[in-house]
Amino acid sequence: MIEIAHGIVGRSDLPIPEWLFGWAAAVVLVVSFVALAVLWPEPKLSRASFRPLPGLSRVLHSPPVDLLCGLAGVLLLVLTVYAGFEGSQTPTANFAPTFVYVIFWLGLVGLSVLLGNVFKAFNPWRALGRAVSWIARTAARAPMPAPLSYPERLGHWPAAAGIFLFAALELASSDGDTPQTLAIAALVYSVIQFVGMALYGVEEWTERGDGFSVYFALFARISPWGTRDGVIGLRPPLAGLADFRPLAGTVPLLAVMIGSVTFDGAAEAPIWTGMAPDISDFFQTLGLSPEKALELTFLVGLIAAIAIVYGFYTLGVRGAQSVGGGFTTRELSRAFVASLVPIAFAYVAAHYFTLLLYQGQAILTLSSNPFGFLASNPLGEVGTDIFGTADRSIDYGVIGATSAWYWMVGFVVVGHVAALTLAHDKALTIYSDVKLAVRSQYWMLAVMVGFTSLALWLLSQANQ
Amino acid sequence: MILLAHAGHWLVNAAYFVPVVGFLGWLGWTELRNRREKRAEGQAADR
Repeated sequence: MIEIAHGIVGRSDLPIPEWLFGWAAAVVLVVSFVALAVLWPEPKLSRASFRPLPGLSRVLHSPPVDLLCGLAGVLLLVLTVYAGFEGSQTPTANFAPTFVYVIFWLGLVGLSVLLGNVFKAFNPWRALGRAVSWIARTAARAPMPAPLSYPERLGHWPAAAGIFLFAALELASSDGDTPQTLAIAALVYSVIQFVGMALYGVEEWTERGDGFSVYFALFARISPWGTRDGVIGLRPPLAGLADFRPLAGTVPLLAVMIGSVTFDGAAEAPIWTGMAPDISDFFQTLGLSPEKALELTFLVGLIAAIAIVYGFYTLGVRGAQSVGGGFTTRELSRAFVASLVPIAFAYVAAHYFTLLLYQGQAILTLSSNPFGFLASNPLGEVGTDIFGTADRSIDYGVIGATSAWYWMVGFVVVGHVAALTLAHDKALTIYSDVKLAVRSQYWMLAVMVGFTSLALWLLSQANQ
Repeated sequence: MILLAHAGHWLVNAAYFVPVVGFLGWLGWTELRNRREKRAEGQAADR
């Protein structure tokens, strides 16, 4: 539905058929599983050491850095909204769509995995919430009332809803890439965040209810950079996920994260392009306009993809439960949910790798001319060239199609091996019997092989 | 010929999922075998 927010892959000349890459990836997973069973007999990640770096922490957590990062985030939000309303409504000419769908939505995933939870520092809603909170505390003559206690049952459900609605805007809405639509969406999201922060407190809401904050924080747990007791430090990669405490709604959130990318890929497949017109026709017979019918069709597809991902994971969990150990499905579902995070990363990285590399370059042009107007404009709109890069074009030769394919397969394989490692380590902590732990992981291995096969099939659909 | 062409297209797509189907099949067969062995052990213990 949205041209800009989609992976760009050209035809590649490969030495073997693409489906054979899937078989090879499955073999890699099986070999990894055997290696883990033999060479990893005790949990390591959950007992991993943490090396605090107090000097670096003092600098990065200092009030001036805190203020500057928050200010940068707020300015980028204001620019996105302003450009969205006042700039050209051509998606590729305006700053807002490329910034939101490429730099923010994709670029921050990579930065989070590499450098840790950088979004926390730049989160504009958190920055504004803290600023308002500080002003209110300073101006109040009496102690401020305490925020409401965040309900345990709410958990990550608001975050899951937020990410789902963003995915729906991106993948189902007919004007999800229109700058004005994005500006309105940003304002609506801001209002929701402010209400949540007012009710439950800035940090409590940010860590549980703010969809983007929770989303990037999950990926940040893959990173070797982490924070413990407020001090930045180093840990083994994935260790941040080993001590992750899932909440209500965490599994649906991961299903949305993986399912949305799944649908984005599957939307190009003949299986979808063949059935979508029929579904749309059905909705038109119910009285919907062709445009709304198509939007609803894509929304149904998105929900179906999320449900399939959720169902497949639940199948694996039920299988793991069948080997014994006395755990309920809910307990096991939450215990292994952290292993879905590397899979979510693999999906995002593989599917959007080329989009980030190509369309990501456009931010240099758009930063100089965020409104997207031409220099000589008969309508009187003013074009700008703030940094002297307004005429810069995208270099599509930065990576070849074949190299891109190998990178994408690499992301898929590494992500799923990481997921397998996490699940194995977790099983060793919750099962008293090592053999039972390994047997339970047969089912997790089936889930990983399934997601690997699905990921490579999705990539092949875009590769035609 | 068109049917064969479509079948070829479907076969290529299905090839991606052979590993997971095969693995699930093996898992299912292993579970069935384990349950049969447990049932046999239980019957032997009853005697």
